[in-house]
Amino acid sequence: MKKVYRKLGLLFALLVTVVSLSACGSSAKKDVLAQDKASNTITWGVKADTKLFGLMDVKDNQIKGFEIDLAKAMTKQILGKNGKARFLQVTSQTRMPLLRNGNIDAIMATMTITPERAKQVDFSRSYFDAGQAILVKDGSPIKNVHDLNKKGDVVLGVVGSNSVQNIGKYAPKAKVLQLTDYSQALTALKSGQGQALTTDNGILYGMSVENPGYSVVGGTFTNEPYGIAVDKGQTKFRDATNNALTKIEKSGEYNRLINKWFGNVKGFNLKGAYRR
Amino acid sequence: MAMIEFDDVQKYYGDFHALKDINLKIEDGETVVLIGPSGSGKSTLIRTVNGLEPVQDGRLIVNGQDLANNKTDINRIRKNVGMVFQHFNLYANKTILENIMLAPRIVLKRDEAENKKFAMELLDRVGLADQAAKYPAQLSGGQQQRIAIARSLAMKPKCLLFDEPTSALDPEMIDDVLNVMKDIARDSKMTMLVVTHEMGFAREVADRVIFMADGQILEDDSSDTFFNGEPSNERARQFLGKIITH
Amino acid sequence: MISIFQNYGGELFQGFWQTILCSIIALFFALIIGSGFAILEVIPNKIVHVIAKVYIEIFRNIPLLVITMFFYVVIPMYITKISGFAAGTIGLTLYSSAFIAETVRSGIQSVDPGQMEGARSNGLTFWQAMRYIVLPQAFRVVIPPLGNQFINLIKNSSVLAFVAGFDLMYQGNVIASDSLQSMNAYLCVGILYLVITLPLSYYMRHLEKKLAA
Repeated sequence: MKKVYRKLGLLFALLVTVVSLSACGSSAKKDVLAQDKASNTITWGVKADTKLFGLMDVKDNQIKGFEIDLAKAMTKQILGKNGKARFLQVTSQTRMPLLRNGNIDAIMATMTITPERAKQVDFSRSYFDAGQAILVKDGSPIKNVHDLNKKGDVVLGVVGSNSVQNIGKYAPKAKVLQLTDYSQALTALKSGQGQALTTDNGILYGMSVENPGYSVVGGTFTNEPYGIAVDKGQTKFRDATNNALTKIEKSGEYNRLINKWFGNVKGFNLKGAYRR
Repeated sequence: MAMIEFDDVQKYYGDFHALKDINLKIEDGETVVLIGPSGSGKSTLIRTVNGLEPVQDGRLIVNGQDLANNKTDINRIRKNVGMVFQHFNLYANKTILENIMLAPRIVLKRDEAENKKFAMELLDRVGLADQAAKYPAQLSGGQQQRIAIARSLAMKPKCLLFDEPTSALDPEMIDDVLNVMKDIARDSKMTMLVVTHEMGFAREVADRVIFMADGQILEDDSSDTFFNGEPSNERARQFLGKIITH
Repeated sequence: MISIFQNYGGELFQGFWQTILCSIIALFFALIIGSGFAILEVIPNKIVHVIAKVYIEIFRNIPLLVITMFFYVVIPMYITKISGFAAGTIGLTLYSSAFIAETVRSGIQSVDPGQMEGARSNGLTFWQAMRYIVLPQAFRVVIPPLGNQFINLIKNSSVLAFVAGFDLMYQGNVIASDSLQSMNAYLCVGILYLVITLPLSYYMRHLEKKLAA
């Protein structure tokens, strides 16, 4: 019996060693920008479950949204007219690991720039000024985030989003349930598992467009600038994205995209979103 | 009224006609031996008597109750009709003593002290009183079968059925079991129906011998006629000739 | 990895106990329900057989997550509010009960039919025979495969992660996202699952040896 356990212990230690070494090893890396120029392709990690930003259209199996269009525009700026943009679906949970192991070159997936995250990745400057808000069922007594700050209230969020971390500051008394993705969270809201869903207002607007009977209330209570995340150390690539963004803003392309996606959204502050 | 009465009984396994036109009366206290080649239906017949096998047609009256009627409470019949199996079927998870005491306790609600006393008497009678605390797996086949007989006797039945009780035993144990059976045949007013190949036993204690083949009763004689006279049925005569010579 | 245990000790602790609690509740009821349906399968009554078979086929063949989501989403819409933990535990119970039913049935049917015959001939009713003779013997046979079922059940309790059940897996997801160290987080969670299943595995093996004697 002892022999078996010794063997098992050894095996386990070996496994842990190998795995941790491989995690360290990945920091010695390649130049993403150079690679992409060579292959004429940039691989973007995007959402596919978020209306207005990145949503899979089941009819033609294409992901569509503001971020998709912006990514395509940036690809053309960085690689030239014939540059190709490849899209890989990510979730709030998977986007970081996928970036780190090189499956994607950049994350453009409703990801808020925060100091903690900046320790792990390099951000471009913000490309969309979102803010955290809450979504409730029409007719709910909850009118803003402070109404949620009662014992017994339940707020729904998505694992890995920084909105679940923030909500603790604004409604500390409420219980927070972290679901695996937005559709789970919305389903939970609809079946009454919680009083409100919290995440970025843009995403919530998308949900309210799809689900009449649910509205965004109380305005935004934080600033959640979205940024493009690239692997730590890929400075050249990050700078390239910043330059591309500037060009797109200057040319008016940015505002065109804002109009395209948010022009018809009730309650959305269009003028505030425009950039020059 | 007869203890066991078959009246034009038919039994089928699906399309196969296993028992054909069975007409048979066994009176109280008779010891009847049932013989025949394999596949003749003798085991099937004896298993219909305590309801382990159903019959499809005809009347089967056992201890005054008609087994063909589905309102009949089969458990009542089995209180009075015990069975001893070729493979003993002792309760593997109970001690020998428990094997004997279980049914009287939960079915007959016998007083515990009386139950134990009677059980020990029976064990003594079959010569195994010192094995009371053992489990069936620890005993030989012959010992197990004697316990099985004691277990059936514990219910104080009016009738005992034996389905090839010695066929699975080593030769040196057969006699011990047969002696117990002969004892029962001679001493009590017990009705016994025994399926067996042991002709010595039959000769000694049987009142009647029944010969079966292909699902039918071909010969039904007193033991005397069968062994000392001659069976009238040709097939029976042939069978007898072959097994007597062993 | 140590830092994960240090910084998220509270979450891991909660997750650990929620997983254990869910597993114990689910196992208890799944054993009762499963054994019940197993017995229904062996009673000499065709209608009862069909009922049992239908239940077992439904819960054996629908994925655990689907069953759980049904309780998480549909029940609150039409009947009553139900927490993630409850939905996950109920789902786990029903799902496991189907597998346990088959295991127990197989155990019952593996008992020598001569035992039932002997008991019935001795005057015992079907239920008395089951209770005193058949089921006790089936029980011994069934312990090793049931041990496996229990270990599977503990692993399947991770379905609670999808319905915010605050179990180990849920905490793993939360910690992985919060700390941004997915691998370490899930390694810790994996170790904690082992802490639950390894001793159980060892104990089951010990039980097997004891019963075989």
